[in-house]
Amino acid sequence: MDFSQIVPALPALMEGMVVTLKLLVMAVLGGVVLGTFIALGRLSSNAFLSGLAKAYVNYFRSIPLLLVIIWFYLAVPMLLNWITGDFVPVGAFASCLVAFMMFEAAYYAEIVRAGIQAISRGQVNAAYALGMTYGQAMRLVILPQAFRKMLPLLLQQSIILFQDTSLVYAVGLMDFLNSARSRGDILGQPHEFLIFAGAVYFVISYCASYIVKRLQKRLVV
Amino acid sequence: MSAMISIQNVNKWYGDFQVLTDCSTQVAKGEVVVVCGPSGSGKSTLIKCVNALEPFQKGEIIVDGISVGAPKTNLPKLRARVGMVFQHFELFPHLTITDNLTIAQTKVLGRSKEEAMEKGLMYLDRVGLKAHAHKHPGQLSGGQQQRVAIARALAMDPVAMLFDEPTSALDPEMINEVLDVMTELAQEGMTMMCVTHEMGFARRVAHRVIFMDKGHIVEDCDKESFFGSPRSERAQQFLSKILQH
Repeated sequence: MDFSQIVPALPALMEGMVVTLKLLVMAVLGGVVLGTFIALGRLSSNAFLSGLAKAYVNYFRSIPLLLVIIWFYLAVPMLLNWITGDFVPVGAFASCLVAFMMFEAAYYAEIVRAGIQAISRGQVNAAYALGMTYGQAMRLVILPQAFRKMLPLLLQQSIILFQDTSLVYAVGLMDFLNSARSRGDILGQPHEFLIFAGAVYFVISYCASYIVKRLQKRLVV
Repeated sequence: MSAMISIQNVNKWYGDFQVLTDCSTQVAKGEVVVVCGPSGSGKSTLIKCVNALEPFQKGEIIVDGISVGAPKTNLPKLRARVGMVFQHFELFPHLTITDNLTIAQTKVLGRSKEEAMEKGLMYLDRVGLKAHAHKHPGQLSGGQQQRVAIARALAMDPVAMLFDEPTSALDPEMINEVLDVMTELAQEGMTMMCVTHEMGFARRVAHRVIFMDKGHIVEDCDKESFFGSPRSERAQQFLSKILQH
């Protein structure tokens, strides 16, 4: 084992990490926003809306993420072509981002739904009694409280997503794992680079989990 | 006297179970009406029907000339004009007392931040809690929280106030500080409908008493005749039990 080649390769690996983190942050933000709307749909008294949201969640939770990534890689350019009539080149990054956002939204939706249901009916009534509309009650009263309660769960889910971003390997996006792998191949040291990549994933995920656990304890008190 | 709240033949079912049966009564402008009765008699449900927090299937409720049950009624607008105080206070725990007092004024009524703040603090001062403005609800006692909740409702300049068992969740030593605020409010001529077991309050402050049992309004009379000689046997039983201690 010779790890000496890793140091000169660090700038290139760092570029990969930037792609990974960019993908992660954007997918989490988009996923939480979309997931919140799906959760509101599921809780809606409108049977059509709640049925649609439920179908969405069940569908995305029943298929492998890898499939979604490949599928969107093929489908997004097709869809855009169909909508705009033009051929729009879509990079692997954009299609992966859409795939992650939509896939994770199904998981975030369930967390958000549980968070909203944990807020008492009395709070909703108090908001309504003050003349708030449904939207105002959600935005000003219910969701801020719910998000506080579910923050640890949302972060935990995002740590899983951090690891899952490595699946973009399948469509050739140069994220952290993929750049480590290709560097290792070029230099003839695939094992060293993969072991290093594994260590990096472990340290980041483990530290993040530890922070989330401490946060959870603080929020409980 | 014109009726501020008019309840006409209201019926409500939960599935097959009828919680309200042909309830009719009126609350005139400036009148204080106490609604009492054993638990499960439908009194909380009835008062929640007045600002449409609970839907009802038959009958009509008119608040300040507006029909609550009509499909075209703008419910948020109607509710903004009717103050409500809940058993469990229901202050918003993630906001400071000041924000609790101003959020609906600015977001619902469209008042400026300064105006809302001025009004909120004025009512906070009136319930004797101005020093606590910067705190969060969790830092206040139950009695203090309920007084803030009353101030929050008053800051909206309501035409009437609904109280849904405002002292039931309080420790005994805190009940009076809340009742005092309510008494003062009644003396100023606020139209009030109060679901409460506080018979002393009813005796001192109420103009009329409504007694409910099993979803029916059994008695609806001025307080002298209610406390002097209730006509129904059920109300007599209730009074003898509640006044014994």
